[in-house]
Amino acid sequence: MSIVKDIQSGRKPLKRAYVGIFLWFTGRAIQATARVDQEVKKEFDNLPDDFTFSLGCLPDGPCMVIGKEKGKVKYLGSNPGKRHVHVRLAIKSVDAAFLILSFQEGTAVATTRNRLITDGEVPYALAVIRILDIVEVYLLPKIIASLAVKRYPKGWSIGRKLGGRIGVYTRTLLGI
Amino acid sequence: MNPAPVFTFTCPVKTNSGNKALEHLPVELAGLNAGNPLIITSRKAVGQKAIQTLLDAFGDSGMTLGLFDGVTTTANPDLIEHLKSIYLEKKYDAIIALGGYGVVDAAKVLNLAVSLKTADAHKLSPATPIRGHLSPLVVVPTAAASGLETSKFAHFNHMIYSSEYLAPNLVVMDPRLTRGADGKTIAATGLAALGRAVEAQISADHNPFRDAYSFAAIRFIKENLPAAVKKPSDKKASLAVLNAASMSGCAASDTKSARLHKLGQVFYDIQHIPPGVIMAMCLPHVLGDDLKEGACDLAALLHPLVGDDEFARTPAAKRAETALAVLGRFLSDLYGTLGKDLPRNLKEACVPGYRMEDILDGLGQDEEGRYLKTVVERITG
Repeated sequence: MSIVKDIQSGRKPLKRAYVGIFLWFTGRAIQATARVDQEVKKEFDNLPDDFTFSLGCLPDGPCMVIGKEKGKVKYLGSNPGKRHVHVRLAIKSVDAAFLILSFQEGTAVATTRNRLITDGEVPYALAVIRILDIVEVYLLPKIIASLAVKRYPKGWSIGRKLGGRIGVYTRTLLGI
Repeated sequence: MNPAPVFTFTCPVKTNSGNKALEHLPVELAGLNAGNPLIITSRKAVGQKAIQTLLDAFGDSGMTLGLFDGVTTTANPDLIEHLKSIYLEKKYDAIIALGGYGVVDAAKVLNLAVSLKTADAHKLSPATPIRGHLSPLVVVPTAAASGLETSKFAHFNHMIYSSEYLAPNLVVMDPRLTRGADGKTIAATGLAALGRAVEAQISADHNPFRDAYSFAAIRFIKENLPAAVKKPSDKKASLAVLNAASMSGCAASDTKSARLHKLGQVFYDIQHIPPGVIMAMCLPHVLGDDLKEGACDLAALLHPLVGDDEFARTPAAKRAETALAVLGRFLSDLYGTLGKDLPRNLKEACVPGYRMEDILDGLGQDEEGRYLKTVVERITG
């Protein structure tokens, strides 16, 4: 018998499922927010017509792909297919993704802790981060969103907060 | 600060430290072009929980890992030859050493054997030429670490291998593994780091890169070791101590004069007393002699030990003496906290008389042997 044992690395189905569901929901929410929020719409307008970005975890974890098609922002599922991905945000492991997406670490903190790999143009990546921050503010209660974003936005009107939230959630759930 | 007009410094070690740092290992290995690592460890030394934590970090990576958990203090070339055959046969492409001391030394020598593809590992010696990079080596230290894990040295089978290519490519320090089982273990780790960092800091040939490592290591130890000793489960303090140990290893690789290191290593090789324990016993004597000789820059110790304000308040002429006094108080507090768990002399450390002859013989082979023996006489107790 060999003194070296071969061990197959395990799986983390619960964390993987959480991250998968979160990314699926966030992907749809980005699509919805681009139609509801003027700031997000403007950010996307400034990006190229075929702009595509992905957010997922390595090595083959859950992923969401967002792209612009004929001027409209669409959630494209987990596989970009043959589309050119302009910005690829990859979280180094499903554990790191769980830390970030369960708000134990904000995006900025996770970046400083070297948990994210960014592949693409920096200005595009920064635009994506700004979009993600706004989406998180819409999706999450203030107390949780404050943990997720670097600075919780000030000066949002009640209409934007409340109306926007209703719009984002409705469109996200309906997928429109 | 004026550096020496000519100096060199090499530290090829990448460091990943902090919460869930282990979970980055699959990506880091991919960056080293490796995807089939062999884990080398000692189940007796690190425990099943540490091994499981490391294995869990590979969850969802899809990797197959080799695990050898039987490294002992008596690891010899037979074991290296056996492991080398398995490594080559199963086509492993990286080594991960979990633990400290002999585990990492064995991993470094195994890395040498598999990288040079020597026909027989028994023929490896410190004279074996190493002319290029070896296979990827990752070190995951636990609380019981010597500090030399990140260095270019490997102490194996009573020989000292030395090459910058022996240093690991990556060291990963995760608070889940760096928490000490007891104050004694973490104290030994911290004191070994302190001893080596002090020697690097006061070395006559100033090197600004090495100074940066030793400065930070001394400050980390001064600020965190007492807390880690009082509460070994303190994640933040114990992680800081391991960081200091890692930095001291990088600094030690480029330090020429290392009396404390030599003393600690001889006692470890022969009697298996952690080097930090011996270095703490010898530290006041060796530094006291350095102060008298005036050969070393002891004043350089004060800044990392006391911080900016106290350093600025102390007149330049008194900085060396003050540094020694601060170190003395620091060690005295540690001895007070640990009591009998941290022996103050060789008598308390229960070094048998018949071993002393071997130890003195070992020291006699060093060029500074005569001086080192006088230090041993003073710590006999």
